Amino acid sequence: MQESLGQAIAEAIALLLSADPALWEIIGISFSVSGAAITIAVLPAMAVGFALAFYEFPGRRLLIALSNTLLSVPAVVVGLTCYLLLSRQGPLGDMRLLFTQSAMIIGQIALCFPLLVAMSHSAFQAVDRRAWETAITLGQSTLGALYLVVREARFALLAAVLAAFGRIIAEVGASMMLGGNILHYTRNIPTAIALETSKGDFAQGIALGMVLLVLAFSLNILLHLFQGKGALT
Amino acid sequence: MSAEIARCLIEFQGVSKSFEGRTILQSLNLCLREGQCHLLLGENGAGKSTLLRIMAGLLAPDQGMITQQATSRRWRKARDFLRGHVMYLHQTPYLFDGSVRQNLQYALPATLRGKAREQRLQQVLDWSELSNLALSPAKQLSGGEKQRVALARAFLRQAPVLLLDEPTANLDRTSRQRTIALLHSLKQRGVCLLIACHDAHGLDILADGNYQLSAGSLLAEQA
Repeated sequence: MQESLGQAIAEAIALLLSADPALWEIIGISFSVSGAAITIAVLPAMAVGFALAFYEFPGRRLLIALSNTLLSVPAVVVGLTCYLLLSRQGPLGDMRLLFTQSAMIIGQIALCFPLLVAMSHSAFQAVDRRAWETAITLGQSTLGALYLVVREARFALLAAVLAAFGRIIAEVGASMMLGGNILHYTRNIPTAIALETSKGDFAQGIALGMVLLVLAFSLNILLHLFQGKGALT
Repeated sequence: MSAEIARCLIEFQGVSKSFEGRTILQSLNLCLREGQCHLLLGENGAGKSTLLRIMAGLLAPDQGMITQQATSRRWRKARDFLRGHVMYLHQTPYLFDGSVRQNLQYALPATLRGKAREQRLQQVLDWSELSNLALSPAKQLSGGEKQRVALARAFLRQAPVLLLDEPTANLDRTSRQRTIALLHSLKQRGVCLLIACHDAHGLDILADGNYQLSAGSLLAEQA
């Protein structure tokens, strides 16, 4: 077993270095789908996080509790909910989105939105309230004041984006249910790993797993660099 | 500028505020006059900061109106006007992440560019004696230096009214004197100052009069 595992790892590395088009196509789909999801979700989620941190309004506490609850909902349950909405019998069935990249993006938005809300809420809460008041009293417009507050929370907000991206690019449940794991179209890294492993083809699975591992490591390095530490301490 | 001829910049009428059933301010009337300085005296928890925050348009009162150049406005409409004309300085000034210079830039209008902007920045750095700290990280300054940056921002902002919350609290003697000198300079430039404090701490030298805030009511006293 050890010998076959070593062989599979060697094959995986060779596969990655050989610029295998099928492998890199899967990686490309993963990044484009998750990139689109995070791009769409980030601004509205952070706006909600900001409102929760800086404004008092009816239902605020309920919204905080809801976003925290949704954090622990498994990806497969999110996938199932979106599946029921997008399936032919579902309320959004006419849009014919099921088993498309758009459906995967919707599922990933649903997954990362609560995480972005919860983490940006914490990030904005950590900013001194005087920052907002000072910006206003300096004559900044609402947008200008918002920019200054976001700037104060930028490292924590960046951490939120990286954590959310890490979560959605590695999730398998929602992508499998909503995308259908169709080759050249909706097959992404986690669904491909699940498939190749079930077929006993470990090399490609390990190669894709390595990509996720390198990605996770790179995201953390990036975060540390942004925080001005320059090196891991 | 004498008290008799000083123009009333903004008049507050019937300002009331309660928190959780407790009355903090009760139907207060106050006039802010050009180039005048008043101390707002009161015990801790008397509502001084609340009043200043309302006057700066940062906190909505339960009731009240403002009058400016014979135009009366309800509070909802007054907020933007107040934010445009009144500047509020916290007891411990908040400085943004970045250098002193960057912090000063936030107080300049975006329309001011190029050489004029640089000249203005250099002028305020000289005025506040902060030239040697221009590139220092603002968050690492001492309390007195932070206060000077805050006053330098007020200088740049050119708001006709400046509200200060305990500006000399927790400062050593030298820093206190420097702060008072900068406030005096602002007053001479026609800025109306209202300074909340529970102890005059040498600020009475600037004052044309005092307001005593007690049990939600305001009592005016001549200096």
